[in-house]
Amino acid sequence: MSIRDESIGDRIGTFGREAIRNGWTRERFVLLGLLGLVLVSLGPPFQVYLFTEFLIIALFALAFNLLYGYTGLLSFGHAMFYAGGSYGLAIVLRDLQPHIADTIGSGIAPLVTFVIGGLIAVVGVLLLAIPIGWLSVRLEEIYFALITLAFGMLVYSFIIQNPQGLTNGTDGIIVTLGITEIGGTELRLGDRQTYYFLTLAVVLPSIYAIWRIVHSPFGTICKSIRESPDRAAALGVNVTHHRWMTFIVSAVFVAISGVLIAGLANVASPYHSHWTTSAIPVIATVIGGATYFSGPIVGAFVYLYVRWGISRYPVLEAYWEFFFGVMLIVVVLYFKGGAAGGLVLLQAWLLDVRTAYERGGTSEAWAFVRESAAEKQRNLSARLSNLGRSEPSEGAER
Amino acid sequence: MTTVLKTEELRKQFGDLVAVDDVSLEIGGEEITSIIGPNGAGKTTFYNLLTGVLEPSSGSIWLGKEGDLREITDDPPHEVARNGLSRSYQITNIFEGLTVRENVQVARITHEGRTFDFRSRAAKDEELNEDVDELLALTNLTELAETPCETLSHGEKRNVEIALALAIEPTVFLLDEPTAGMNPTETREIVSLIRELDEDIDATFVVTEHNMDVVTDISDRIVVLAEGAVLADGEPREVLSDERVTEAYLGSEA
Ligand SMILES: Nc1ncnc2c1ncn2[C@@H]1O[C@H](COP(=O)(O)OP(=O)(O)OP(=O)(O)O)[C@@H](O)[C@H]1O
Ligand SMILES: [Mg+2]
Repeated sequence: MSIRDESIGDRIGTFGREAIRNGWTRERFVLLGLLGLVLVSLGPPFQVYLFTEFLIIALFALAFNLLYGYTGLLSFGHAMFYAGGSYGLAIVLRDLQPHIADTIGSGIAPLVTFVIGGLIAVVGVLLLAIPIGWLSVRLEEIYFALITLAFGMLVYSFIIQNPQGLTNGTDGIIVTLGITEIGGTELRLGDRQTYYFLTLAVVLPSIYAIWRIVHSPFGTICKSIRESPDRAAALGVNVTHHRWMTFIVSAVFVAISGVLIAGLANVASPYHSHWTTSAIPVIATVIGGATYFSGPIVGAFVYLYVRWGISRYPVLEAYWEFFFGVMLIVVVLYFKGGAAGGLVLLQAWLLDVRTAYERGGTSEAWAFVRESAAEKQRNLSARLSNLGRSEPSEGAER
Repeated sequence: MTTVLKTEELRKQFGDLVAVDDVSLEIGGEEITSIIGPNGAGKTTFYNLLTGVLEPSSGSIWLGKEGDLREITDDPPHEVARNGLSRSYQITNIFEGLTVRENVQVARITHEGRTFDFRSRAAKDEELNEDVDELLALTNLTELAETPCETLSHGEKRNVEIALALAIEPTVFLLDEPTAGMNPTETREIVSLIRELDEDIDATFVVTEHNMDVVTDISDRIVVLAEGAVLADGEPREVLSDERVTEAYLGSEA
């Protein structure tokens, strides 16, 4: 073999391995990640805004995926809980702010009201999710998707109709976070940077909580229901009850993301309850990969940043839905595991390329790249020609 | 004989078709009972009635230990399972997307009532995994513990099927054609596994099976179903030499 030239790729690879060997353990990578998150706050205000929105959508999609990727239920009405969160906060801010200020003094009232509003919103959604979930989980598959869609539309029309001035109709409710004063220092919650850190402080623990749920015995039961509900039942799992519980947990975390979006957008808008909003976590999860914990996070990132990228070109912006359509088709056809799955595959593929390179230099690596590209091509055309034909499914005998 | 499972005039009709025709049976706790019969005789339907998957048209089902029988006729499947009736499936039905370990964890989690133990992490829970390891050892799956089930061979999947059913420590274990689709080696292995388990474990085994060598090998008692009704019932030698039984089989093959 020829003398290795020190290409950049080589050096990065060596650096990574060295780093791991020198004790760059998970904790240190987490620290590095946190540092990165702090650095984001120093970016231009719009970028901070966009990243905050990404965190919120990521939580929305993760909570949705608890039901979809982990339990096998596709909800098409999760916007109702998102809107529940945002309207809950907005209504408390509008109607209770003065009372709270009277009781505890106007200095810290805005912050306290935000916290109370958030809690009330989440509890409100919990109370909403209990009966809606109870009814919905009695149906499966497409019927479950349809009944959640129907409940979502019900909530949307309720909001639009503005019962007794509660929701302010199509205009929605303006959310003003105000200025909090603690010990002489002023804190503008609505400030991009401040709100970004507030969002981080809520989203990171929420993600960790969902991660723990997924890896707890509860999460194992969720996955068993996704894989085979009747088998789970034959082992003593009360499938309907477990789906119901998962539905409620999912709704609660969606409510948290809804509270955060109201504060970020400064409005609780009927749009938050529209079915197109229900589609956001679906799209993010499918793009990112429903079978990976991080899939919805990756998907939310791709969704928001691609949309932002498109929005910078007015010619394209009119067609941004078209781009997402194309993207979804490509993912569904090509990457079963979504972008997160794609990244895992890419990593494995790069390792293979590397092995080929170490075996026989550039020519060998190039041959491997061409070979695997040709194979992908064959797979894709095979899948395309299989499209209309459904695979025989091996189901349980009933 | 102490009865662990009993049916009284159990019947299931699909429209005009009588799939299970007034079957009254008492299964004793000390024996391996085989339920045999030609294709479409109603064996799987009988199991589906027992486990609450199908609702009987009429009749009743009783289950219990030491002669203390409880009626389970109207119980949903998960309660039947919790009451001690477990099954394996004719068409393999396991959690394909999960590892072998996770499969057995599912059964142990529900059996131990730990579904809502959010402090636990399933993969690292020692108490849970000790029990799982024990079961995997019992069913010769130790080496495959971390393997995703979709990559297992057919024979290995059938072992997972058995591990799952045993993990809930059943009183009665219904096996639906455990050797279905197996090659001779796999068949021999699973038969010896069933015999070992019958020795080691407190559960009563009920088996449906098409392979007559297997049936004669493991059964203490044979029940023959034909067109949903009990045609013969008794010691293997008696039943297999019964003319009506040979006729039922030959008739179905003609
Ligand atoms: N869900 C159902 N709806 C209508 N008919 C059914 C249903 N399930 C079973 N049957 C019919 O009931 C009869 C008994 O079927 P079953 O599957 O119980 O037979 P089996 O003895 O298990 O046969 P095999 O040996 O092939 O497994 C068959 O005629 C079958 O077509
Ligand atoms: Mg059958």
